[in-house]
Amino acid sequence: MDRSKKFWNPYLAGVALGLVLLAAFLLTGYGLGASGAANRVAAAAVTGVAPEHAAATPQIARLGHDGGSILDNRLVFMVLGVVLGGAVAAFTAGRMGRKVIRGPNMKSPGLRLALALTGGVIMGVAARLSLGCTSGQALSGGAMLSVGSWIFMFAVFGGGYGMAYFVRRQWS
Amino acid sequence: MTPFLPFTSLSGDSRELGLVVAVLLGFAFGFVLERAGFGRADKLAAQFYLRDMTVFKVMFSAIVTAMLGVMVAAGLGVVELRALGESAVSATYIWSMLIGGLLLGAGFIISGYCPGTSAVAASSGNLDGLFTFIGVILGSLLYAEAYPLLGKLSGLGDMGQVFLYDVFGVPAPLLAIGITLMALAMFLGAEKVERIMARRSGDDAALAAQAPRPRRFAFGALGAVALLALGTLALPAAPRAAMGGKAAVGRIAQEQLAHRVLEEPWTLRILDLRARKSCEKKRIPGAECVPLETLPKLGLPYTAGERDLILVASNGRTLTEVPDAARRYPGKALLLVGGFDGWRSYALTKPRVPAASAGPQELEDYRFRAALHSAMTGRKPPPPAPAGGVKYAPKRRKKKGGGCG
Repeated sequence: MDRSKKFWNPYLAGVALGLVLLAAFLLTGYGLGASGAANRVAAAAVTGVAPEHAAATPQIARLGHDGGSILDNRLVFMVLGVVLGGAVAAFTAGRMGRKVIRGPNMKSPGLRLALALTGGVIMGVAARLSLGCTSGQALSGGAMLSVGSWIFMFAVFGGGYGMAYFVRRQWS
Repeated sequence: MTPFLPFTSLSGDSRELGLVVAVLLGFAFGFVLERAGFGRADKLAAQFYLRDMTVFKVMFSAIVTAMLGVMVAAGLGVVELRALGESAVSATYIWSMLIGGLLLGAGFIISGYCPGTSAVAASSGNLDGLFTFIGVILGSLLYAEAYPLLGKLSGLGDMGQVFLYDVFGVPAPLLAIGITLMALAMFLGAEKVERIMARRSGDDAALAAQAPRPRRFAFGALGAVALLALGTLALPAAPRAAMGGKAAVGRIAQEQLAHRVLEEPWTLRILDLRARKSCEKKRIPGAECVPLETLPKLGLPYTAGERDLILVASNGRTLTEVPDAARRYPGKALLLVGGFDGWRSYALTKPRVPAASAGPQELEDYRFRAALHSAMTGRKPPPPAPAGGVKYAPKRRKKKGGGCG
């Protein structure tokens, strides 16, 4: 349990996170977001490799605006900041380093990485369906009291608890 | 009243500043997430085995803090609550969000991260976080490519932009207090669950590690802000009266548009951006049919711009920002929140008759919507229910004699 002592108290961390979110609301009129950047990276990659195909795929084409890159967007810059902030926080707390996090009884890092990728793919689809992920919908929309965001938030917890039994080996 | 710094669209002169602010906000976001322990999959996953309720605690403290902050800002008149909500949050699609949420929760426990925390994990060298984030990118790609199939699940249960204070019909600050109290009760429950789980696993260190002092401090702080938010209820109702004013950030709400269509249509130039066929079938009175792809041909930057431009897409999702062709319109260009679907449900659908116990505001809303509905469709609305359940029978006077009646 020594490790957990290095983390902030959850309530104080939550208040700090809330203040960051509040600043985003008051300064920019938008909340925080993460999955939007992944969506734009995917779209930019397709546009780079196969521009005709990208133009024919409406979900990608609609992200473009004339003359600019798909990556030229506040959400992408925000996740750039997230990566920087996370790196600085991890480095200054002595948590930086290449590793694969898994439960103590899970031997294979390869299986862990495969599960991580799979879960990521599912979340990528899910975030497009619900127009946002835990950051953009649950956190930002939850604080603005949007009905859909609260439905989404409870569904996330429901999905997590429902699935937890089946992947318990990974974390035990 | 322009509460936001002027880089909401991140275009024009303040574009660079907007991107710098986005990076700074992201930096703070990532920093706090890492320090909360959200860069570690095992800590996040423990939430779903009830061993460690940190995810829940951090998330709800953050929501409550930001919510109370917004309430105080709205109470002071710094922002307009609904306009900010409509700018910051997407519309509600009940079924899509339920399905998306369940899927995302399942992906969360399989990968051990959510999209944002996977970026944090990747940045601190966790390869599993990196793989998760790559997975999210691939998932977005899969969605775009398989849209003809997966897209069938999107946009289901469209309610337009709707907030909890609409559903419960209570003033937003009061609702915020309620949610704060609920969160505090749930925090106490979470502490209890952690204690039970720690005792069951015989982890004495975990039991001892629960320091009550900072927790009490955080509880006290949340309580104080909650009281402050409640205090703003007593302020003069200036910000609430300003609701009929202009929506911020290049958007206009259905209600405002409806008022202006009825009261001052000459100040509007409404452009219906849907396909020509659907526009010709039914449109907002006075709207021009300009399918989105023909918008640049109007030469909007070269018009006088004395009227406000209202842009009508088919729903809240087809167009989320003012398109470039209209952005350089010299006057004001406003996107109709919820698009034509929103108009259909607001102006062309019969409003629900309010209950007898309805307050004056609700009755007033009903009167306006009923009048709007009859003006738009030519149907006569039913009268509102008599107040207070008092049986009121108008006395009929018998006509006497002749005369002209």
